[in-house]
Amino acid sequence: MLLRILDRLEEIIIASLMGAATLITFIAVAHRFLVDVPVLYPYLFQINLAWSQELCIYMFIWMAKFGAAYGVRTGIHVGVDVLINRLNDRWRKGVILFGLFGGVVFTAIVGTMGAKFVYELMYTDQTSPDLEIPSWIVYACIPLGSYLMCFRFIQVMWAYFWTGELPHHDASHVDDIEVSPKAPIALGEA
Amino acid sequence: MSAALIFGLLFALMLTGMPISISLGLTVLTFLFTMTEVPIESVGLKLFSGLDNFGIMAIPFFILAGTFLTRGGVARRMIAFTTSLVGHLPGGLGLAGVAACAMFAAISGSSVATVVAIGSIMMPAMVEYGYPRRFGVGVISTSGALGILVPPSIILVLYGVSTNTSIGALFMAGIVPGVLLALMLAAVTWFVAWRNDYPRMKRATLSQQFKAFRESLWGLLLIGIVLGGIYGGIFTPTEAAAVAAVYAFIITVFVYKELKLVEVPKVLLQAASMSSMLLYIITNAVLFSFLMTHEQIPQAMAAWIVDKHFSIWMFLLVVNVILLLAGNVMDPSSILLIMAPILFPLATKLGVNPVHLGVLMIVNTEVGLCHPPVGLNLYIASSIAKMGISEITIAVLPWLCAMLVFLGLITYVPEISLWLPRLLGMI
Repeated sequence: MLLRILDRLEEIIIASLMGAATLITFIAVAHRFLVDVPVLYPYLFQINLAWSQELCIYMFIWMAKFGAAYGVRTGIHVGVDVLINRLNDRWRKGVILFGLFGGVVFTAIVGTMGAKFVYELMYTDQTSPDLEIPSWIVYACIPLGSYLMCFRFIQVMWAYFWTGELPHHDASHVDDIEVSPKAPIALGEA
Repeated sequence: MSAALIFGLLFALMLTGMPISISLGLTVLTFLFTMTEVPIESVGLKLFSGLDNFGIMAIPFFILAGTFLTRGGVARRMIAFTTSLVGHLPGGLGLAGVAACAMFAAISGSSVATVVAIGSIMMPAMVEYGYPRRFGVGVISTSGALGILVPPSIILVLYGVSTNTSIGALFMAGIVPGVLLALMLAAVTWFVAWRNDYPRMKRATLSQQFKAFRESLWGLLLIGIVLGGIYGGIFTPTEAAAVAAVYAFIITVFVYKELKLVEVPKVLLQAASMSSMLLYIITNAVLFSFLMTHEQIPQAMAAWIVDKHFSIWMFLLVVNVILLLAGNVMDPSSILLIMAPILFPLATKLGVNPVHLGVLMIVNTEVGLCHPPVGLNLYIASSIAKMGISEITIAVLPWLCAMLVFLGLITYVPEISLWLPRLLGMI
């Protein structure tokens, strides 16, 4: 149950960060043009959107860290599988488990380093340049994202060890795109 | 020495099937831990600062735009338009497929999106009109590779960001090679169809052509917005990408009505997950190139090359061989992110134009997309056409040969890539 909430939360966070960052950047661009329109000038001139770029970058970095964890669960992180596909089953399983273990180790180290870094930042009053939010909040995505990713790697490893199933992302299969059975080309029909 | 160690470790880790991003990161950590005095904490900071760049953010925006466009009827209308123009020639639907791929490539930045969008409509259509299945698969899976050459291109953005080259100039540099490759692929298509006497379509009347043009206009406008906006200095590439994403959302949901509003979160999630995967490779590739610079590996290689009096001609040949080999094991974005920071200093030392190197690298990775074992375009085509990979590999051969000829042209005639950006005063 708790896991399902976590899964859902992860999806909601990254999808809404994606949408919000797009909207904010679009609004900032639109604002830059509309401010030149004389009628709108008095209203729009007072709005300062200089912070939008920074916010967009931060949102995307947060999205990237959590999205990477989501990607472990859905198997979107690609590796080189030319060699392991040629191994016999027992070796294959061992090598794949080693690969997943590498993921666990890396994300755990990075998470810990990030946590230390953020912890030290908490005692300074460093803020981000435009938005002036405390830096440690901005950087908190490194430990949070990495630990979540580490957890996902452990999950995938556990499942693979017992069932031999890996999450597999099929780039060639896009949801909802059906291969049209009938040609939609109305023109030039013989 | 350290170069051998680093690359040895990287290859060993990659061969275990570990995600490429993780292998890059682990290599860096291991090396820094055991061999250097670099404070390991600085790595944590790099994981953030590596992405702290507005230029990189063009990537998620272009991916989002591409995800919307793949769902919408933009591809279908473009196909109808190109069919009305060239359908009556030998191999008409094939030629229309090449043209539609080129057009779709000009609004989307990925070749996967192009193959999915055009292929899922065009391949079944070609079978229905009596073309052999092999022919359709060959045409679409190779033409789809135009997606990363014709601007906007996610891979060109990656190159621009990792070598500090102007993304605008790179985009302009991709146009002439893109058109040239499209023409070469079309020529092969025409020749194969003419020899085997494949069916033609009835010639469309002028009013039919105009109607098809008008219907596809919404999609075609996007080309103008992105390229015109960047060239005219109205947008930065990242802003153009954000505008393209919003525009793509509006036309698929409100104009063509191919996507319901409730399905939008799913599109967002899909685009976010694809972008995060790429951004995660980028962070780790930044770490890796930090290690490279710290160990002064590119500098050492450059000194060696100058010392041995390598000509540009030889150097480019070696670059091609290395990249083609890399294309056998990795996807375009990983190749770019790992190789660009290494090749870039060497190339500038020898006087190769950075923009030329960028286009050259893209074309190399394109070839990798169209042959096994990792040719992603083939896998997509195989799942759309329900054909085995080995059969498809044979099917793409004529077009793949044309691509190799094209690669030779791009390598040794830099003007193909440099003419337009130079004309526009961008380099």
